[in-house]
Amino acid sequence: MITKEKCGALALLIFSIAYGYQATKMPLTFLAAQEVFNSKTLPIGLSVAGIIISVLILVLPVSDPEKRIPFTEAFKGKVWGQTIMLFVNMAFFGFVMPLLGFIVASIIFLLAGFFILGERRWLRMIITAIGVVVFLWFLLSYLMGIYIAPGEIFYMMGVIDV
Amino acid sequence: MFDGLLNGMMMGIETAFIPMNIVIVLFACFMGSMIGMLPGLGPITAVALMIPLTYGLNPATGMILLAGVYYGAIFGGSTSSILINAPGEAAVVATTFDGYPLARRGQPGKALAVAAYASFSGGTISVILLMFFAPAMANVSKNFQSGDYFALMILGLTAISAFTGRGSFLKSILMAIFGLMLSTIGTDQTSGTQRFTFGSLELLDGIDFLLLAMATFAITEAVFIVLNRDAASDSFKPRNLGFKSLKVSKKEIKSIIPTVGRSSLLGYFIGVLPGAGATLGSMMAYGMERNLASKEDQAEFGKGSLKGLAAPEAGNNAASTGSFIPLLTLGIPGSGTTAVMLGALIAYGINPGPRMFVESPETFWGVIMSMYMGNMFLLVINLPLIPYIARLLAVPRNMLVPFILFFSIIGVYLITFNAFDIKMMVIIGVIALFLRLMDFPMAPILLGFILGGLMEYNLRRALIINDESLSFMWERPSTLIINLITLVFLLLPLIREARTRISLMRQKPAA
Repeated sequence: MITKEKCGALALLIFSIAYGYQATKMPLTFLAAQEVFNSKTLPIGLSVAGIIISVLILVLPVSDPEKRIPFTEAFKGKVWGQTIMLFVNMAFFGFVMPLLGFIVASIIFLLAGFFILGERRWLRMIITAIGVVVFLWFLLSYLMGIYIAPGEIFYMMGVIDV
Repeated sequence: MFDGLLNGMMMGIETAFIPMNIVIVLFACFMGSMIGMLPGLGPITAVALMIPLTYGLNPATGMILLAGVYYGAIFGGSTSSILINAPGEAAVVATTFDGYPLARRGQPGKALAVAAYASFSGGTISVILLMFFAPAMANVSKNFQSGDYFALMILGLTAISAFTGRGSFLKSILMAIFGLMLSTIGTDQTSGTQRFTFGSLELLDGIDFLLLAMATFAITEAVFIVLNRDAASDSFKPRNLGFKSLKVSKKEIKSIIPTVGRSSLLGYFIGVLPGAGATLGSMMAYGMERNLASKEDQAEFGKGSLKGLAAPEAGNNAASTGSFIPLLTLGIPGSGTTAVMLGALIAYGINPGPRMFVESPETFWGVIMSMYMGNMFLLVINLPLIPYIARLLAVPRNMLVPFILFFSIIGVYLITFNAFDIKMMVIIGVIALFLRLMDFPMAPILLGFILGGLMEYNLRRALIINDESLSFMWERPSTLIINLITLVFLLLPLIREARTRISLMRQKPAA
């Protein structure tokens, strides 16, 4: 069974090969291509170094006896459901931010986060989420003078005139 | 030399003691202590989380804030180590050896107070040494050229890998290379060529260093709390912690003075080594003190010994201050946290390294002098507040984690106002989580990423100056010396690791 460090090294070997392949495909101007050191040089060098080190880790045995455990062990006994949901929540935050704007998207993000982690005291959740987000918005907009654009939905619904 | 030192100190005092900066140090120490105290969150996360706040400030004030957050977080980390046996990061692991047993014996206040006195002494002794050594080092490096800078950056990358744990050298080097690869994404500043942008407009400027720092540290650390069912803080009840409990007798203080002195000196010199950092400083200080202790004292180690608590605390604080030497004078970060600070310096438009001493002396000296103030604040203001700040440990993780994630994401979003960065953070966060589960260290990624752009620029410049010949690597004595040191840092752990692995390979068929 493949160990943890070998699994990581394998992933980075694949990445280094793909990175190096992309580096060779990089378009250069005629003049740039004549230079000894151009935009491709460092990426290609890094790709070669990445491949060599990954292969060394893959070929040589694991030196620390405590770490000679299969990589699947790293995934066992973990709380994957909540973790994955937190990542989904973050990605969702990224998608809805332009549409809903800072305040609404942030409140939804925090409420969803509390809910995913098992909090069910709704009053506490709502007061905390709204309180923190509105305070932050006030701090940024009024005290620090940072313009935070409202969500596109408010223009679509005609709440804010273009 | 002393005239220059005095002038510098005066300039530093003028910068550090303006009312705004005094408030900033106070705020930074307080915030650093709070964030550092949260289980799972270390100084890198604390510093990264505070960077967005510094963008509106002048560089000297920004750096003063970040430095305050750094040592505040180390101080805060000790608190969670002592109270709930949950060190926020490796640098305070040694604090749990005697701090937690002392707290369990019903003396949490005393443990916190001893840790604070030792931290204060370690930090202060280290600042005094820093004041004398930093200008001397900066003067030596004033005449550095592109080739020297390139060699220094290679040294920085190698050194941070050389001091990693057993069997991690190759993994650290690989992670540094991965960081360097990520730094090449975007438009090449010299030729204007687009690299690895895949036609995306959002990738033209490359990946923001703060985004990478937040994704690899703040987000993954918060997610790890959930992933590992880390509920250490959920059981914390702030009892037995009042102002009176912080009292330490004169006899006890007297007994730890030599320990603190020795550990501070050791910690400082370890911190100065690029890559060694506070973890090695605290562990070595603890080991040294245990070896030097009398048999009776040795028996106490691990059971709540005051010396065993004071040694790593003085050692890690002295080492964190010492790690500012390579950062301020050579532009090489000595640790993951100082790598994040280097990124911030670059974002402020400051040229880190020897030129900083000449071009931005107020930042250089302001940071050093503010450390005196910060150490004082931690002791005089933060220590009495610790029993109250420690109540933060009782905040359940189901409320805490979403807030950490929220502030990490918003910290990046408020700089670029681009939702693409949030999606990018999620992708990098998932990759970082996988690599951490596979036991790959994260700090070298940041170091490689931050040094990548500077490294390529200096290499290119050095090649142009030297008619595209690599002879600059050995022609100048300074470059040659740096390269030889790099070679030592590279070869010693490489040979050690290769020998261990090859001997294991030979044993396998025999078995």
